[in-house]
Amino acid sequence: MEDTVRFKRFLKEGNLPTPWCPGCGNGQVLKSLAQAFEELNLDKHQVVVVSGIGCAGRSAGFFDLDSVHTAHGRAIPLAEGIKTANENLKVVVSSGDGDLLGIGGNHLLHATRRNTPLTIVCYSNEIYGMTGGQASPTTRLNTKTLTTPEGNRDVPFNVQAIIKAHNCFYARSTTFHLPHLKKCIVEALRHPGLSFVDVITQCIVNNGRRIGFKDAFEMLMYYKNNYKINDNAEFLKDNEIGITRCAGV
Amino acid sequence: MLKQLLQGNQAIIQAAERAGLGLFAGYPITPASEILHELVGKKHIKVLQMEDEIASINACIGASLAGLKVMTATSGPGFSLMQESIGLAHMMEVPMVIIDVQRVGPSTGMPTFPAQGDIIQARHGSHGDYFPIIFYPNSVEELYRYTFSAFNAAEESLSPVILLSDGYISHLYETVELKDYPIAQRSMPPLGTSNRHFTGLTHQDSRPVTSSPEAHRELLAQLQKKCTETSRNYSFYEYIENTEADTLLIAFGALSRAVYQFKDKYALFRPIRLFPMVEELKDVASRYEHIIVLEMNAGQYCYQIERLLHREVGLVSLPGGKIDIKEISDRLQGLRQKLPKQVSVS
Repeated sequence: MEDTVRFKRFLKEGNLPTPWCPGCGNGQVLKSLAQAFEELNLDKHQVVVVSGIGCAGRSAGFFDLDSVHTAHGRAIPLAEGIKTANENLKVVVSSGDGDLLGIGGNHLLHATRRNTPLTIVCYSNEIYGMTGGQASPTTRLNTKTLTTPEGNRDVPFNVQAIIKAHNCFYARSTTFHLPHLKKCIVEALRHPGLSFVDVITQCIVNNGRRIGFKDAFEMLMYYKNNYKINDNAEFLKDNEIGITRCAGV
Repeated sequence: MLKQLLQGNQAIIQAAERAGLGLFAGYPITPASEILHELVGKKHIKVLQMEDEIASINACIGASLAGLKVMTATSGPGFSLMQESIGLAHMMEVPMVIIDVQRVGPSTGMPTFPAQGDIIQARHGSHGDYFPIIFYPNSVEELYRYTFSAFNAAEESLSPVILLSDGYISHLYETVELKDYPIAQRSMPPLGTSNRHFTGLTHQDSRPVTSSPEAHRELLAQLQKKCTETSRNYSFYEYIENTEADTLLIAFGALSRAVYQFKDKYALFRPIRLFPMVEELKDVASRYEHIIVLEMNAGQYCYQIERLLHREVGLVSLPGGKIDIKEISDRLQGLRQKLPKQVSVS
């Protein structure tokens, strides 16, 4: 097999297409995960992918390895059970912002406190996409959604602060910056404790089009123009993506 | 044979250890906490104190899929929090043992007083249809013995098996003979050996199928068949015949110990496997004119028995944690005079 497509061994191509809408960024995150596994030359039987509920929750079913699609918000504690039972497994949580930060937020807090060696990849599209476009924990201030017709009044979840408060690994990237996204996941997988990759991804159908984007391409161009890579920061600014420094590791 | 004076919760630990428990995840709650903190430090058993009962049962699901025998223990409020993931464990066919040491509810209720208010929650607490195997012993020795059964039935049925206890028998001290019972081996290959997809979605051959009513019905039938067939190997009940009596008393758990007092005047039946309901009760009940169920709730199991037997059943409802022989005796007298004479139609 050619080197450039070797990552496909981690995917169940027979299960494609995914249920995701045209223009959705989730497929890029899925691909980046598979490419990161390939770059680290992992054995398929060495990796387990766990997901929660929602659009990104469907990701686990597309990996050609043992995978678990859990209840809403419960991917992290279930993954901790797997990791505790068999520490030789690389346990990867692949789920959305509503799942991991909303309904599952308490589990994330405690998993970072325990520093359980998991890699958590958060598909952060700033919206509850599968249920039609309600405000999510990462929806920005003043954004109009189905549940915030006057604009969102709640401050978005500062996930970076939460992760770094317990000195866990935090990286942020977008679905425009694909080589960087892959690098973030690779570094996260190499991290000995809990690692969190915050992936900004576009939901054109249930978010972008309602806030003025014409199509997914425009959203990607916005990511391109708005975000600057900084892989050596203590703490990323709002318009930065990168791998933050983790004290003592 | 080794004999030990043990508390009910300790008997569960002794049995779980011998049955091959590999991981316990839990959250402190009276009257189940001893199971969590007395497991800490045991060789070969990993113990996770999680942030809540939702995390606990999910950690158990993960560890079970990853190859260990797992258990969690809780009481009513925590058991309520676990319900969604109990459905998930049925859907994904994950073996595990769940101990529910019942206390007076609803809500925070009376935290140290025994109750039997989780009967329907144990059977129907999660959404959708599922068919759990549920045991409810009535002594410390039985908690020991049926913990083995719970682990074995879980492996055989690939499902979460519930062992009910109550604040009374879990905190009771009795002498237990620490016998060795047969132990089932792990029944499925662990995670990291294949490309299976475990999901709470309706599925066929490890793939989600979310728009086929036929596929869903087939899956439900398969889950029901598996649990019902397994339960036949665990048909546990106690029947104390009384040929002089015209009334059969049905009781279980802590309360059944008090009901033994009435065996001279009544026949007694004690289901130990509460669900699927023991079929033998139909035959036994047909020999008596009256059936009276005594339980420490407002009649949760009584309604199930009426449905099984298709006849009117008397109820002595005793919620609130109090077991008083005089009260039970008076209530039985009063009720018997009111009950119509009838013979089972089945």
